[in-house]
Amino acid sequence: MAVTPSSLRTSKRMKIDEIARTIRERFGSTLLVSHGDGGVTLSIALVEPPILPTISRFLFWDAVCTFGGIIVEQLQDNWRLSYLFLSPGSGWIEVLLEVPSSTPAVPSISADVHAADWHEREAEDLFGLHFEGHPRLGDFILHDQIWPEGVAPHRKLHRKTMDAHRDRLRHRPNPDWRPLLVVQDPGAFAMPVGPVYEGGLGQSVHFLLETVGEDVVRAVPRLFYNFRAVEKIAEGEPVSHALLLAERFAATSSFAHSLAFCLAVERMCRVEVPARAKNLRILLGELERLRHHAGAIAGICESTALSVAASQVAIIEELLLRASCQFTGHRYLFGLNTPGGLHRDFTSEACTELLGAVDRAVSDLHRLERGLYFTSSFLDRLEDVGIVDPESARDLNFVGPVGRASGQAVDLRRDCPYEGYGAYHFEVPREIEGDGYARLRILFQEAYQSTELIHEAIKRLEPGSVSASCEPPAHGLALGWAEAPIGAALHWLRLDSSGLVKRYRIITASFNNWLGFRVAVEDFAFQDFPIILATFGLSATECDR
Amino acid sequence: MHTWIGEAVVLFFALCGCGLVVSAVARGRNAIRVLVGFSAICSALMMIAAGIALTTGQSFQVGLWHLDGLGFFSIRLDMLSAIFLFTAGLVYPPASLFVRNFIEARFHGRYPLRRYGAIHFALMASIVLILIANDAPLFLISWECMSILCYLLVNYEGRRTGDGRAAYTMLAMSEAGFLAVVVAFAIAGRTASDWSFASLGAAAVHLSSAAVWAVFVLGFLGFGVKAGLVPVNFWLPRCYTATPPIFIPVLAGITLNLGFYGILRLNDALVPAHGVGTGLFALAVGSATALVGILYATTDNDLKTMLAHSSIENAGVIVAAIGASLVFRASGYALAAAIALTAGLYHMVNHSVYKTLLFQGVGEIEAATGTREMDSLGGLARLLPALSVVFLVGCLSIAAIPPFNGFVSEWLTLQSLLRSASLVSPATKILFAICGAALALTAALAVTCFVKVYAMSFLGIRRGDWALRTQAKSNRPQFAMVYLAVACFLLGVLPTYIIPALNRAVELLAGASATASLVPPFFTATPQNHQLAPAFLHDFHKLGAQVGSNILPGRGLVVLVRGGQQNPVIFAMSTFYGFAALAAFVLITWVLVTRATRKRGVARNELWAGGIPRLLPEMSYTATGFSNPVRVIFQAIFRPNIVEDTRQTVAVHFRTAILRRREETHLVDRLFFHPIGDAITWFARLLAGMHHGKLNAYVAYTLAFFVLILLLYRVS
Amino acid sequence: MSFWFWRGLKKGVQTTRYPRTAEVAAGVTPGRPITTDFRSVEAAVLAAGVCPVGAITARGKSAHVDLRLCIHCERCHFDGVRPLGWQADYEWATVPQGKPRYEPLPQAYGRSLHIIVVDAGDCGACLHEVKQLNNPLYNIHRLGMFFTASPRTADVLLVVGPVTENMRVPLLKTYEAMPDPKRVVAVGTCAVSGGIFGQSFVSAGGVSSVLPVDLEIPGDPAPPLAVLHGLLVVTGRKAAIRHEAVLERSA
Repeated sequence: MAVTPSSLRTSKRMKIDEIARTIRERFGSTLLVSHGDGGVTLSIALVEPPILPTISRFLFWDAVCTFGGIIVEQLQDNWRLSYLFLSPGSGWIEVLLEVPSSTPAVPSISADVHAADWHEREAEDLFGLHFEGHPRLGDFILHDQIWPEGVAPHRKLHRKTMDAHRDRLRHRPNPDWRPLLVVQDPGAFAMPVGPVYEGGLGQSVHFLLETVGEDVVRAVPRLFYNFRAVEKIAEGEPVSHALLLAERFAATSSFAHSLAFCLAVERMCRVEVPARAKNLRILLGELERLRHHAGAIAGICESTALSVAASQVAIIEELLLRASCQFTGHRYLFGLNTPGGLHRDFTSEACTELLGAVDRAVSDLHRLERGLYFTSSFLDRLEDVGIVDPESARDLNFVGPVGRASGQAVDLRRDCPYEGYGAYHFEVPREIEGDGYARLRILFQEAYQSTELIHEAIKRLEPGSVSASCEPPAHGLALGWAEAPIGAALHWLRLDSSGLVKRYRIITASFNNWLGFRVAVEDFAFQDFPIILATFGLSATECDR
Repeated sequence: MHTWIGEAVVLFFALCGCGLVVSAVARGRNAIRVLVGFSAICSALMMIAAGIALTTGQSFQVGLWHLDGLGFFSIRLDMLSAIFLFTAGLVYPPASLFVRNFIEARFHGRYPLRRYGAIHFALMASIVLILIANDAPLFLISWECMSILCYLLVNYEGRRTGDGRAAYTMLAMSEAGFLAVVVAFAIAGRTASDWSFASLGAAAVHLSSAAVWAVFVLGFLGFGVKAGLVPVNFWLPRCYTATPPIFIPVLAGITLNLGFYGILRLNDALVPAHGVGTGLFALAVGSATALVGILYATTDNDLKTMLAHSSIENAGVIVAAIGASLVFRASGYALAAAIALTAGLYHMVNHSVYKTLLFQGVGEIEAATGTREMDSLGGLARLLPALSVVFLVGCLSIAAIPPFNGFVSEWLTLQSLLRSASLVSPATKILFAICGAALALTAALAVTCFVKVYAMSFLGIRRGDWALRTQAKSNRPQFAMVYLAVACFLLGVLPTYIIPALNRAVELLAGASATASLVPPFFTATPQNHQLAPAFLHDFHKLGAQVGSNILPGRGLVVLVRGGQQNPVIFAMSTFYGFAALAAFVLITWVLVTRATRKRGVARNELWAGGIPRLLPEMSYTATGFSNPVRVIFQAIFRPNIVEDTRQTVAVHFRTAILRRREETHLVDRLFFHPIGDAITWFARLLAGMHHGKLNAYVAYTLAFFVLILLLYRVS
Repeated sequence: MSFWFWRGLKKGVQTTRYPRTAEVAAGVTPGRPITTDFRSVEAAVLAAGVCPVGAITARGKSAHVDLRLCIHCERCHFDGVRPLGWQADYEWATVPQGKPRYEPLPQAYGRSLHIIVVDAGDCGACLHEVKQLNNPLYNIHRLGMFFTASPRTADVLLVVGPVTENMRVPLLKTYEAMPDPKRVVAVGTCAVSGGIFGQSFVSAGGVSSVLPVDLEIPGDPAPPLAVLHGLLVVTGRKAAIRHEAVLERSA
């Protein structure tokens, strides 16, 4: 069932009511369309599983929605699968499927929505749920050479039992394990990179770059070396503990993730966060974005060995870290978000000082940007290298700055506003070349934009409280989202009868983008690989959770 | 003065005959021993005869018999023949020994040797006869015998495996070359009194320029078939790959040289050129051959085919040096001609030695592992340590790394090309510059090629599925290969003894002595006897050029390229002193390091590969990957015709296999072989159109022919 | 290209003077809670109860801090009623409890130290802080310390993260690939005690369960200067503090 990318150009983005109407007309009695809650705008409950791929194809290609992710939950006797799609400008659409536990398999949608590939593999590894029609299940999160078959850690075996059986679960590395190599050429070989590479200053990822000499023919990353089972650890814990986990599983986007988590809880509690807290949250979120992008730019300069530029941008990043610490007490903005608002307030002198530091940093950044754009040896390494064309970007559902560099201009702050972003005016930068240079330009533009948002947030600050009381309800269920520096972050939460976490699902931008990373690397030379990696700026630990 | 050359020659032929008979008669294991024994003695005789000739400077001549119409058959062992004979004698013993060892190792001593032995001795006799023939008919007859015998040996196993096409190509090309040579000799000897070389040489003085060109081109290309020159060498890679390993050392080490001998004999000794054109032609063809040869060698993954291309490359270098020498002689720079010719002859000797060594090494590898593909080899250094050492010596020699022999001859060749600065015509100088650059590029690519060969075959981890065959597990190094490795080393370290020996022939051909200019007599010169300028002697004495004068004989150990007044020394080198310094340095370092680290233990751990569970063979660099940059840079020459890139998918997004295949046609095939073949086929098809079986048409043909004859008769 | 040359010169020297003088710029460290005395036992118990991971224990009237467990949520710092004492320093690397004798590396490594970093499940913050040591503001090169890419040439193994199951074997291989003498430094609370991820079916709960640790640098994340201080302790240029001494001092 091949999908024609030409549908990309002929379809126009549909609004949610139009989608609802079309679905009712086309698919009729096989499903139930209703208004969603807990953050979801439209909920489509399927009556029969086989229609799932058709619906997904319709939503992704004809209705031009982006794919959010798959949330798998093990209920008493059923599997509950929730497929999230975003209709930019309208809201989230959820396709619900409940199948009995005895069902052997669920139809796979990966042939139609390629972006669902890894979501299904994750569900198979962690839940043992089989997806019919997916050709490559297994050896994803639980590496085959370490984990025996059938562990399925997310099944309703209590976490503490799993911990007690840790040594039994682990067995010796399989000496006969061989990776799956695809290129068949007498002179082909696979260059291994990682998981310990770059002296460890890169996060643990493993690549097998299959090549016949100069160009990389196939490159598929092997992730989940940093898998800490955050979703599982959170089960049975109170919401305040889960908040600590949300902050700390991907610390360079800590604020955005904790914000998404808190938004989910606030939605569950139906609490309105005070205006001051909203503006402060925007301020801190953009501060984090600015600092993160400075780090990404430093990484790009480092990868092309432009040492002076790399050092100078690294100085900017460190000064922003220090400014964050001076403002909030923690360099990475831990411990600020809480359901209902923020843990503490900030004085206007502190805000002014922060503003000064940000302005100094950004003026330095401007000067460096001009210098970089005139350094031809630097641009030579980035231009027309690591190209992700707009069709592939759409097909593989790239999000964040990487997606925007390839024409996928989806930004949750504009397309699904949260936390008062709706009142702010800002542009979402968009480029279509999709090469390293485009990604660099996007990073700079977003950094400047964040500065302007910080200014505006401070201007809009009015005296008031910074938190509202928020008691997590029993059986609460909600979706929270935020635009993290790398892209869209989704946190979905279900509480049990005592208000403890029953199921916690995190879908990160890195998880989405790592899937498509190979498109940028294949058919380019070996030497370009570290540079392409740096221009993507992906976080393995955010993907691994 | 009575020298024993004649006796040696007679004894040689007698023993060859005996060997022929006995090996045809002997049975079983004895057959091998007889073969090797007689072969060794015959080669020793070759070397003795040639050695006597070279040391005493005496040549040997004797008439054989007289045939009506063809003249007097005679043989003559002059200096040029002596050099080639010595080389052949140097390489035949290890080649024969290798036959025995290989048959024992690979075939457990069971090999149909009767016919092989007979052909072997016949071939040996015909090679010697070619080298000492003093008149054209004897020369041509023995040449033809040699071609046919070579074909029989190349095809020896082909009849069993059924693939005789490569050998047939060689035979066809040899015959075509032979015809060209016959025509060349015919043109040269049109006005001569009889067919002996002396008469041909005397008559050649009166030849017109066009005739000289005709003789040159026909002789050059005719002998070039055997030598392996572009464009007539398209048989070489195919043939060498198909040749059984017991014969290929002889084919590559000895019969290749016959091509050079032919070129030198016809175009240098007998029919010297009038102008620089012919020399430039030789230079250009040589450089092109060298470049094409090394390009294909670098990108080839089969060890034998790679060595075949490398032979082409070396042949190109030799012929380029010869061509340069011809140009210098025609321009009147006898000294430069002498240096260039020395370089060419030296390279010829070196090439015989290290090519034989390398082919034997490859034969060993094939016997031990069953495969010749570099992509599947790897890790042999640990399994076959002795072989890896001698093979390394061979690789270093062919890559022209000091202090081995390849370095000296390659260096001399490039130096002699640089002498072109003294030529007058700018066009000549430009051509020299281009060819010099091509040869320099060739040298660099040769290093790449052999680094790849050694690294991919011996170093690293095993990449293929082969298992080491039991016989090869014995670690004893083969005497034949050690002999050749030591020869490589000695030829490299003692150039100041080789150059005077080569000088005997060089003096005759170029008309100047290379020794005087290349090997200054530092050992024998004193400020008093004025063999060298006192200031010069003094400077070099400070550099240590007289070290060893009390112990070693000869003129000195420094090879010098002298310039003019302003620049007395252009380049000086001494591989001997260099090697001594290197050895001392390595020894001192080794002593210091072992003493310093004696207290520390050495722990062995597995290979670090980034933390993955195991480094698999699929993850190590392949030969294709190593040479890929060369393939990409020279894409215009390789012109890969089809690059198939099929991706089989389960669904659009998932790929299960990516298949790639690259099909290339060799440059020479593309430009010469296929067009010629197509032309011949076209013509044949045209002729075939006449054979349609209709009787009426045949009668018409006869009638037309009859009419034509009558008309011709009328006209004349 | 001369643009970068002049740009670099114009920026001037930005490097901290640490370890010659203490670095007091704002924001270099989040600081840490220190053992505090309260007015009553109940107050101490309530103060200790604020910590979500149990790093603060009440002993009598004082609340004791075990920095090895602190995840820098800073609730104890910003608690309006009973804040804990806070010290804005960064020299808190300690020798693990139970290690019989601490030996710094031989003096030869004092100004020539090579470090290999392994990310064994880190959240990204500790690794990021370690990476900051390369930037001109800290510049460990001036102290003769370098990050290497191969464990064969490394003297110190710096581990961040609680050692996930998938990274166990690569971490062990890295350790075994290092020649003697070598030291293992656990950076960050996750590497020291498991942090918020603790010991689970995928997490070993700290490097000490997998490798013998020579020095622990807690913090979530450990700021760059704390890592730098730890490295100076490893080479013997700064005195080593034992964890027991820290606990005793607070008792």
